[in-house]
This record gives sequence, structure tokens and C-alpha cells, in this order.
Amino acid sequence: MSFSAVDATLVQAAEAVARGEISSVELTRDCLARTERLNPNLNCFVRVDADSALAAARRADQARASGQPLGPLHGVPIAFKDMFYDKGQETSCGSAVRAGFRGETTATALKRTRAAGAIELGALNMTEFALGPTGHNLRFGACHNPWNADYIAGGSSSGSGASVAARLAFGTIGSDTGGSVRLPAAVNGVLGLKATYGLIPRTGAMPLSWSTDHVGPLARDAADLARLLAVLAGHDPLDPASSTRPVPDYAADLHAGVKGLRIGVPTNFFFEEVDTEVGRTLALALATLEAAGARLIEVAVPAPEHLTELSRTLVYSEATALHGYFQRSCPEDYSPQVRARAATGVAIPASAYLEAVLLRPMVLRRFVAEVYGACDVLATPTLPIPVPTLAETDVGASAGMWQTIARLVRCTAPFNYLGLPALNVPAGFTALGLPVGLQLIGRPFAEATLLRTAAAYQADTDWHQRRPALS
Amino acid sequence: MTNPDAKPTIDGTVALALARLAGFPTLDAETTARIAAGASNAVSAVRATATVPLFDAQPTSFVAELERLADAP
Repeated sequence: MSFSAVDATLVQAAEAVARGEISSVELTRDCLARTERLNPNLNCFVRVDADSALAAARRADQARASGQPLGPLHGVPIAFKDMFYDKGQETSCGSAVRAGFRGETTATALKRTRAAGAIELGALNMTEFALGPTGHNLRFGACHNPWNADYIAGGSSSGSGASVAARLAFGTIGSDTGGSVRLPAAVNGVLGLKATYGLIPRTGAMPLSWSTDHVGPLARDAADLARLLAVLAGHDPLDPASSTRPVPDYAADLHAGVKGLRIGVPTNFFFEEVDTEVGRTLALALATLEAAGARLIEVAVPAPEHLTELSRTLVYSEATALHGYFQRSCPEDYSPQVRARAATGVAIPASAYLEAVLLRPMVLRRFVAEVYGACDVLATPTLPIPVPTLAETDVGASAGMWQTIARLVRCTAPFNYLGLPALNVPAGFTALGLPVGLQLIGRPFAEATLLRTAAAYQADTDWHQRRPALS
Repeated sequence: MTNPDAKPTIDGTVALALARLAGFPTLDAETTARIAAGASNAVSAVRATATVPLFDAQPTSFVAELERLADAP
């Protein structure tokens, strides 16, 4: 077999299946074999659906053999975070609170990837109820970073990031309420996209905060993300926040380069608390983009110090409301730290929450005018510190845990409040061999520009092609 | 007379009382202090950001605003 999950990207795999160079069954067996070998140590999957995946792969191969039209993900194994409802199938949301819960509907994201021909390998590990950026989980155990199992896989889409890095799946789907796609992408050395609020429907996805929840894909390169985004994006009347804008062809200008593109580098906040080694790595990444033709422009971001708190105001007010019934009826089913996090909004005044809601369009207008009046893409660290270990972030509901969380989401949470598209692209490694991520943020619905920028960077670097040494 | 420039804060006892009122399980002192600090920070951020009257602001669709800004020159 000349093709394997270890070497091929999602797009390459889909094209190989379409050309008949490899069967979907072979691809699926390859992913399942790696999962069987590596998952006991990494804990990316909480459930592996080997039989149903192979059955779906056989159907995909039969469909191709009989000349049926093939979707853009035809025969390609992917996986979802265990919070996307699939009618009749148990969905844990990473919590004992939801043990035995079976969705009454099927998530729109699942329906769309199925219609595109994807093969589902199983359910991916996550932080309980997506409430935390480290990937710890009391019910299923922590997910481990494939680059070094002592380090966090990030959260809350921990399994989504680690499984792509470990080549257990060609692409994964996660969710992002404060950085939960971008952080696991960054710490595992893969790409992750939080699209513009409203672009990818959340129907059938576990809610955490309806104002700031985003569904997003993770994959190995920009072309893979473009393909997954094209499948996932587009209006869904069942999601009241779903945009009606037409979905563009994200692959059309993917390789058009960045000549003349203005990349804004914040002069305030985002690089102020960056670790020296991370900062040096990101400076090299920006220099690479400049060498490719982009113009680096210093940009002062308006009132960034308040954006994270405004985001937290929405997230915790809404999360506390969503969890109120469970807090009263089965508090013992939560892990202690997640129970505490789910109660965070109980003391936020309703008037403060509603002011944060009313302020949101005004804050966005100012941000877009001042930032995107000066540049086309804003560049920041995804994670301003080196990847922390599982041990140092496994501190329970203590002050240390909250400080760690604040540092982890410092550069990502602002863009959930603003609803802007934001993407992590692998930008290098620390001396300890842990990935460093560059975050690219665009104006509303400018995903194609972000993907083009990432593709240009990946054309001149090989960080995304490196893979962890796993045995 | 209170200092109008002082950072607004509530303490853990307020957070604990609100949690009890909501019927939430007992929270330890450290957690309620953290919740109180978070609520205080939320109010501070809102106060600092609300520099114009919101009296005539409409709770309009945020997605519609994103769409409008995407097409703006």
C-alpha cells in the first residue's frame, strides 16, 4: 500500500480514493490500526466505532465502483468531539452528568460531513462540558499530547487536536467558545479554525454559551481546512444565529500567496505577556510571511484588556443558566472543578450581562474600523506561553487553576466575543519539542483570506508536515 | 462618601448567598471568592466599555452586524 494516514493529508486521501488509488476500507483500517495501537496512551477517543466505520467504508467503495457521484470527503475517515448529537447514539459531552444521554436529533455538522461522504471513526475526548482549556477529564481521563504525553492536549477539543497530530484521523470537528479549537490545534501542532460566528451551524451540538459557541474543523494543512469548511459552512434554518450569506469557494484562491497582504502585529496586549521563546518563534514566523510578500504593520488594538472579560461575561452567564438544572439535581455527577466553573456566572448581574450583549455590535464596529482599516489580517500568539504539563495544570478548583486558564485563553477568548474568524497555524517548536502556534484573525467572513495566508506560510515551512515520534 | 473611581467589587459572601439562592450545591470559600472576583471583573469591563448611552440600542442580530461589516468598504 503506497498510501497511508501517516503520509497523506485529507485532500490527498479524498483524491486518492476518488481516483481508485486506495480504497476507503484501506484508509479506515489504517486509521483504526493506529488508533488501536496509540489510543491507550493518548486517550484521544472515548469510543471507537470500528465496525460501523468499516461498514461505511465498504459502502463508500461500492458507491465509487458503481459510478455514483462522490462528495468532497468521500471515503475519508474523520472524527467528532463527543458533543455532537447523533439521533439514538449516546453522546457524553465529556461528563457523567450526561451518562446515557441519547440525542433526539442529529447535528447539522454530522449530517453535512455524512452527505459529503466522510467515514466516522468514533467519538473524541474533550474537557467535561467544554468548560476548560487543558483537556483534563475526570470521567474519561485526560487526553495526552502526542509530542510528549506529559503535556496537555489542550481543550476543550482535546481529542480533536491530538488525534489529527497523531494521524488517527484525517480531520476532526470540535467546538470553540473561548479557544477550544485553536488551543488544541496550537499545542498539538495542527491547524484549527474558529469561523465567523454564524457561518457554521451549531444545531445538534452541545451548547455552552449560545452567544459565543462556534463549531470548527481541525486538520493538517490549509487545503484540508478549506475543504472541511466548505462542507460545514452555510445557512441552517434550525440555528437561529446561522448566517444566510452564500458560501464562497475557499479553495479558489488558496495558493494565490500573500504578496501585498497587510498583516497587523498588535503593539498592545497580545504580545505583552508572551514567553520569550514563543515570542522569538512567532517573530520568525512573521518574518517568513514578510519574505513571502506580506507587509507587516504595527496595529494598536482598541481596548483589548476588556475583550476577554466581556467574553467571559457572556460565556459564564449563559453557561450557568444552561447548567442550573443539573447543578440543582445532580451536582455530584460533575467533577469538582467543572461544577465550580459552571457556577461562575451566578454572581454576574443580569444587567451587566445584558449590557455586554448590547455593547457587542459597537465594540465589533470599532475593532473592525480601527484594526481592519489598517491591515487585512491580524497576527497574535495563539498560546502566549509554552505548552504546560498535565501535572502543573491539574490543580483542581484552586487559584492556580484559574490563573492558568486565564493565561491559556488570553489571546483566543477576545475573538469569541467579537465573532471574528480566527485560525491557528503551526509555527515551530520550543526547545523541549512542543508546538508553537500563530493565530491569524480576519474581518467578518474573511475565512478565505486566513486560509490563503496559512497556505502561503505552509508553502515556505514544514512544521505542519512533522509528526510526533509515536510507537 | 464613596469613591466613584474605586473598582467595584463584591465579596465571596455575596457570591455564596446568590449560589444558595439559586439552589446550587455548597461552594467552598476559595471558589466563591473566585466567582465574586469574576463577577466584579465583568461589571468593571462593562463599565469601562459602556462609554456611550445604550438607551436607544436595540438587541439586534449580532450575525446581521457581522454580515454588514463583511460587506462594508
